[in-house]
Amino acid sequence: MSTAASSRRHAVPIALFGVAYALVTLATGNEYHQLILTLVPVWAVMGLSWNLFSGYSGLVSFGHAAFFGLGAYFVALAQVQWGMTPWIGIPIAGALGGLAGLIVGLPTFRLRGHYFALAMLAYPLALLYVFEWLGYQELTLPMEREHPAAFMQFADHRVYALLALAAMLASMWLTSVLERGRFGLVLTAMKQDEAAAEAAGIDPRAWKLRAIVLSGALAGAIGGFYAVVLLVVTPQAVFGMLVSSQALIVAMFGGVGTVWGPVIGAVVLVPLSELLHARLGNEIPGIQGVVYGVAIIAVILLAPDGVVWKLRDLRQRRASAANANVAPTAIVADDAPASARTIGPTLLEVSGVSIAFGGLKALDGVSLRVATGEILGIIGPNGAGKTTLFNALNGFLRPAAGSIVFDGREITGQPPHRICAAGVGRTFQVVRPFRRMTVFENVLAGAFVHEPDEIRARTIAVDALDQVGLRAIESVSAGGLSNRDLRLLEIARALAGRPKLLLLDETLAGLDTEGVEAVLAVVKRLAARGTTVVIIEHTMPAMVRLADRLVVLDHGAVLAEGAPEAITRNPDVIDAYLGKRWRTGDAVDR
Amino acid sequence: MDAAQYAENFLQALTAGLLTGAIYGLMCVGLSLIFGVMRVINFAQGDFMMLGMYAALYATAWLGGGPAAPWIAALLAGPMIFVVGVLSHRLLISRVTGLRSTALAADGHYAQLILTLGLALILQNGGLTVFGSAPVSIATPLSSSAWELGPLLGDRISVFVNQGQTVGAVIALLAVAAFVVLMNRSRLGKSLRAAADNPVAAIYMGIDVERAHRLAFGLGVAITAVGGGLLATVYPFQPYIGLEYVIVMYAGVVLGGLGSVTGAFAGGLVIGLVQQLSTLVLPNQLQNTAIFVVFLAVVLLRPQGLFGRAARRT
Amino acid sequence: MLSIDSLRAGYGGIPVLHDIALTVGAGEFVAIVGPNGAGKTTLFKALSGIVPATGTITFDGASLLDVPPARRAHLGIAHVPEGRQVFPSLTIRENLEMGATTAAGRKAWADNLEKIHAWFPVLAQRATALAGSLSGGQQQMLAIARGLASAPKLLMLDEPSMGLSPAVADEVFERIVAIHAQGGLAVLLVEQRVAEALQFAHRGYVLEAGRVVLSGTHAQLMNDDRVRQAYLGM
Repeated sequence: MSTAASSRRHAVPIALFGVAYALVTLATGNEYHQLILTLVPVWAVMGLSWNLFSGYSGLVSFGHAAFFGLGAYFVALAQVQWGMTPWIGIPIAGALGGLAGLIVGLPTFRLRGHYFALAMLAYPLALLYVFEWLGYQELTLPMEREHPAAFMQFADHRVYALLALAAMLASMWLTSVLERGRFGLVLTAMKQDEAAAEAAGIDPRAWKLRAIVLSGALAGAIGGFYAVVLLVVTPQAVFGMLVSSQALIVAMFGGVGTVWGPVIGAVVLVPLSELLHARLGNEIPGIQGVVYGVAIIAVILLAPDGVVWKLRDLRQRRASAANANVAPTAIVADDAPASARTIGPTLLEVSGVSIAFGGLKALDGVSLRVATGEILGIIGPNGAGKTTLFNALNGFLRPAAGSIVFDGREITGQPPHRICAAGVGRTFQVVRPFRRMTVFENVLAGAFVHEPDEIRARTIAVDALDQVGLRAIESVSAGGLSNRDLRLLEIARALAGRPKLLLLDETLAGLDTEGVEAVLAVVKRLAARGTTVVIIEHTMPAMVRLADRLVVLDHGAVLAEGAPEAITRNPDVIDAYLGKRWRTGDAVDR
Repeated sequence: MDAAQYAENFLQALTAGLLTGAIYGLMCVGLSLIFGVMRVINFAQGDFMMLGMYAALYATAWLGGGPAAPWIAALLAGPMIFVVGVLSHRLLISRVTGLRSTALAADGHYAQLILTLGLALILQNGGLTVFGSAPVSIATPLSSSAWELGPLLGDRISVFVNQGQTVGAVIALLAVAAFVVLMNRSRLGKSLRAAADNPVAAIYMGIDVERAHRLAFGLGVAITAVGGGLLATVYPFQPYIGLEYVIVMYAGVVLGGLGSVTGAFAGGLVIGLVQQLSTLVLPNQLQNTAIFVVFLAVVLLRPQGLFGRAARRT
Repeated sequence: MLSIDSLRAGYGGIPVLHDIALTVGAGEFVAIVGPNGAGKTTLFKALSGIVPATGTITFDGASLLDVPPARRAHLGIAHVPEGRQVFPSLTIRENLEMGATTAAGRKAWADNLEKIHAWFPVLAQRATALAGSLSGGQQQMLAIARGLASAPKLLMLDEPSMGLSPAVADEVFERIVAIHAQGGLAVLLVEQRVAEALQFAHRGYVLEAGRVVLSGTHAQLMNDDRVRQAYLGM
């Protein structure tokens, strides 16, 4: 489905939900309930902000309070110090939040996993103490009796709820537009497999920065609004752990990486914790925190991706149980004979490439040449250095010595996304599709990398699916594919980057005989259409039939090179595969 | 302020830093054990420390006073919180850690982090309900007495060493030493280290890795709880105190190199020093900000830790 | 002693092993050979309970699939894993102690240690060195010794020659033969280099794409060209 269609798909429910919420708000007379009706969208927006960054990028932020608190303090201080109205202050707070996102993101994205989580946790807490020290333990917004509305002050508290609702609907709309566009697909691709995304031409840092700036802006703006609603800002209330936690928890509770998830989380959890607090707050003063704690533990244990995904999965299971015998199968045209291809000039030239891990030489002066239009097979025993060679070719590893020239350009030591942009695509030993996307969306994500224009990207994706024969099952969710179709999907994803050279890493691994035949036919067809292919495989039989030429690696060096038949009779190769004693026949009898 | 007075302030802060640093070091060792063996970042570690403080508070009352009661109570907090830790692992943490989490790949780490975040929220806010929000402290007869070092340099400089804090620091040191002996000499300690190095190979040896994790978690929070019990004799506390200290502890652990036990102690010591020495140049409220800045600087510039040989652990 | 029948195993729903059947008698030396990716390591992991499996595995009369992974070593199975996997931050001696986690290993500790030191003198000389600081060959020897320290009835060796130079690999094989010759121990050896593996074994199985495609005695397999075909395709 297209971005436009997708946002239209969301538009109707969002509008209906907005109208219903507005009607409930207008009918509510109790001021306390009006406050809750205001807080629900506030935390929903915080959840959506968190989701824009963490939900799509997969980097979990434990510090969104930093942006929220900065926004809140900016709006409050601007009004106190300079008499600035929140109508202007809140947009500036948004900009400030975005800027804070940039400042936080630039150094922090160098960190991974645990370190990233800890660093993000530290930012708001560090700010908390700074604001305490600055003497803003309790900052009260002055009442503007002259022009209350000009300062976003309303006697009728339903107005706040309606403003918050508007902010939430806008955030939902923004999310729905971004979700299925380039932003969503690229970030999701990175979340699933950053290495694969980088190999597919994505610059991870740039995209993460875009996400955190956007997310920080949203959090800053809603933080500013929060200050206006509560009229009092304290460091603990806006920079505290509970703020970051609530953003994360409403989003995760409802559903990560969805438009509705954070909203559902907020609609359930905010009133629950507020009402319990109102009723039991005296006897159980920590009830709110306990509610959020229990909610998030329950979600992690029972529905790790949130309520929305759980429901969607249940529905899909029922649906797929209904038509279980419709097995998706790749349709493969008959293969063009390998001899029909024309072998052109040198496309890739590797000379003297060496890579060492610690003391171990993984690659030791490897030199080889790949001609345009050829299928080169790289074989060798386990640990021979095959995958290491691919990692050097696509930029994951920087060779200690030697050079790699692709298409007449030196690419040695360049980052993966550059090498990909130059026209080198690759697949991985372990297939990792974006399980919850359809086959088509998986390939579209690959196409978006090079082609920002949506219409053209779609054409490329369709073409790539045609080439591997998966067109017929393009709307099936990738999670349910057979091993063979997953391999083909991965090839299609790589093809969507329009590579001149395709590196296939053990594409045949784990396939049954039929699967091997199907994939072989597809690879041959690609080559016939002009894509140059280098394929790693550790089983020889299939390679002998596929490749024009074989290069044998052993102990990180080229052991032999030549036509497949010659290679299978090469004494050195037999030694490497079967052991020295096999050929000499000096095995002792027992 | 003249030079002598500055020197005196410096020496005083240095002493205070070393004394609190020893206790931080002990707390960090507990956290580091959990990370080292389980590869889990426990956000609730500070809240287990808080539980240790209250456990020590009630144990002191139960022991009926006496000069040694607070210290015995701090040590008693260990076994009490060990039980809480083992139960938390069995009921919650074990569901997202261990070999099970390898199936979750990268997402597994976040499931663990978020679960311990939920646990932290429950402990903090449950603590508020059970213990009340008023800050409390454990008084020791020694807290108000000090040894005077000096006068040094003529009679211009004197350093006062608080006796209560000194006893606390000595107990912390002994506890760390006992723990190091346990890890290096006992079969249990060696199995924990083996499980940390390579859980799958440990299973091949017949080591019950699930049990090793449970023990490591219980032991880790118990050690931190003892540290909390000792700290409770120095500073007043309330149920939300864990949050401050979780960053303090992680700062120490990261400084020492994630997963290294001896490094964690040294890291905690450094954090104590940073905290106290920062008061010489910064206002009191920014003590913790100074720690966070050090923490961020280490994470960003030298993630393998100050003493980091990234490859070696223990 | 070990008997496997209609064993299936795989990762995350993708099957790797299909209907494997094989047996190892007490004191026997059996080799499993086959090209990379044939499922040899997966078979070992299924035996140790690290990957889920269905079918039957009987060891010493007991059904192994009902035994939790960490208990299997205690029945007398020592798994020397692919890539050695010694505990790098433990000393050589401590690694051996971890091998002797089983009751049998603890009981025979002094005896076994003496034997291990006789087979692998380097492990005695460097007893207090960290395992992580050893060379690949030494680590392989430590991994084997660690397995022996559990006083097993069955020693499972997963590609002991991997990543070693031919000379060191020969040395390792020679020790394995010497250890087996002492008696009382069955050896199940997985190897990619077929000649070396079959040379020492009584019997062998050839695995290809998750199935046993060939089995027989040492002599039968050494003269069967189908073995070469499994590897080289023609």
